[in-house]
Amino acid sequence: MRRYGLWVRAAALLGILLSGPALSGDAEKAKNIVTEVCSACHGMDGNSTVPTFPKLAGRHPEYLVRELKQFVSGYRKSEIMTPIATALDPDDFKALGEYFGAQKPSSNQVTDQAAAAIGRKLYLDGDEQKGLPSCAGCHSSDGVGRSRFPRLAGQHKEYLIEQMYNFRNDVRNYGAARFMREVTKRMSDDEIKSVAEFLSGL
Amino acid sequence: MCGIDRGNILKQMINAVFILIFWPLNLLAQGSAVTSVEPGVQIWNELKGEKLEALRLRGDAARGEEAFVVCQGCHKQGATGSASGVYPRLAGQHATVLIEQMADIRSGKRMNQKMAPFADEHVLTIQEITDIAAYLQALPIPPNIGTGPGDALARGNELYAKDCATCHGKSGEGKADKFFPLVAGQHFKYLLREVRFIRDGQRGNANPDMVIVIKGYRDEDLEAVADYMSRLVAP
Repeated sequence: MRRYGLWVRAAALLGILLSGPALSGDAEKAKNIVTEVCSACHGMDGNSTVPTFPKLAGRHPEYLVRELKQFVSGYRKSEIMTPIATALDPDDFKALGEYFGAQKPSSNQVTDQAAAAIGRKLYLDGDEQKGLPSCAGCHSSDGVGRSRFPRLAGQHKEYLIEQMYNFRNDVRNYGAARFMREVTKRMSDDEIKSVAEFLSGL
Repeated sequence: MCGIDRGNILKQMINAVFILIFWPLNLLAQGSAVTSVEPGVQIWNELKGEKLEALRLRGDAARGEEAFVVCQGCHKQGATGSASGVYPRLAGQHATVLIEQMADIRSGKRMNQKMAPFADEHVLTIQEITDIAAYLQALPIPPNIGTGPGDALARGNELYAKDCATCHGKSGEGKADKFFPLVAGQHFKYLLREVRFIRDGQRGNANPDMVIVIKGYRDEDLEAVADYMSRLVAP
């Protein structure tokens, strides 16, 4: 210890303090949790292969942390995710969010081009006569989302459709999700499918 | 040097505290002046509840920009609205007017079923209303506004000068402290829809004084004056 001067020790200490909780140790731990807990459904790289399980790759870390908290609090209801999120240590949420956020998201093959074209128009422009906002306003025109609004680009259409119905049917109805409840109520079933088709191919 | 700076900072702090304390009182005083009507008569723009709360808060334009994201799906990035008239331009509107209208839409006083669910307390906090208003007020007014046919502008000018300019200003700039909106450069079709609503009692929170003024307006009068307003340029 004597070999290092006071300033070196102080700087080292300061370095540890400033680097905060997201140390490489946390990243390592997050990877272990993903391996043991998340990867079976969401894939090791966050690109799930089962279409009813959402892709998490490239999603904003803040958004993933928020949703994990909502599963724990019970605001977001899921028979699968609530027990899993509850068993996790909330201190690991941030590192998990950063792990999945850093993964490269994959895209899907569009199977219905006509529907995707209709979906694209609705996604970008909404429908003024129905008072349907454009989705791009919050989720951005390329579907990558923002910290408060999830990435939708490249998501499985089956999952997107399920979630839109969850909003419409009041399953996902906490806080600002009420905004999406109103949006989905103003959409027909065909419109929901079309928007999902478009987004899955981004 | 240091002493002068400190003196200045102290002065600014005292000023800031004064403004914080007296600005809401000022509003209240104006509010009571506006609302001093005979008992039994509907009170226009009564400053109470969420509206008063929002007016008392300090708006932060940077936070407002982030909060406004949920509005962009309709009002568009930069709050330009749409020339179809379905969504008004909000950029450059007075913060007081924006707070008044958002609060009235939330309370149901202004009848707007399209917007109400998207601006309720689950989506926007009262602080966010004030922040959004601060953000929008500071935005530049965009060009390329939807205008009308342009075939009755002289008539529009005449009506505007006679009936509208006293409150909404010679150039359509409105009056922030009286909650009179900026109308210059608003989309023609939006103006036309709203003046019709106001005349026909469908807006909900219309100023009764204005209803009296435009009660006798025919549709073509409303069109002429809306077209004229859409072409005004606020100073």
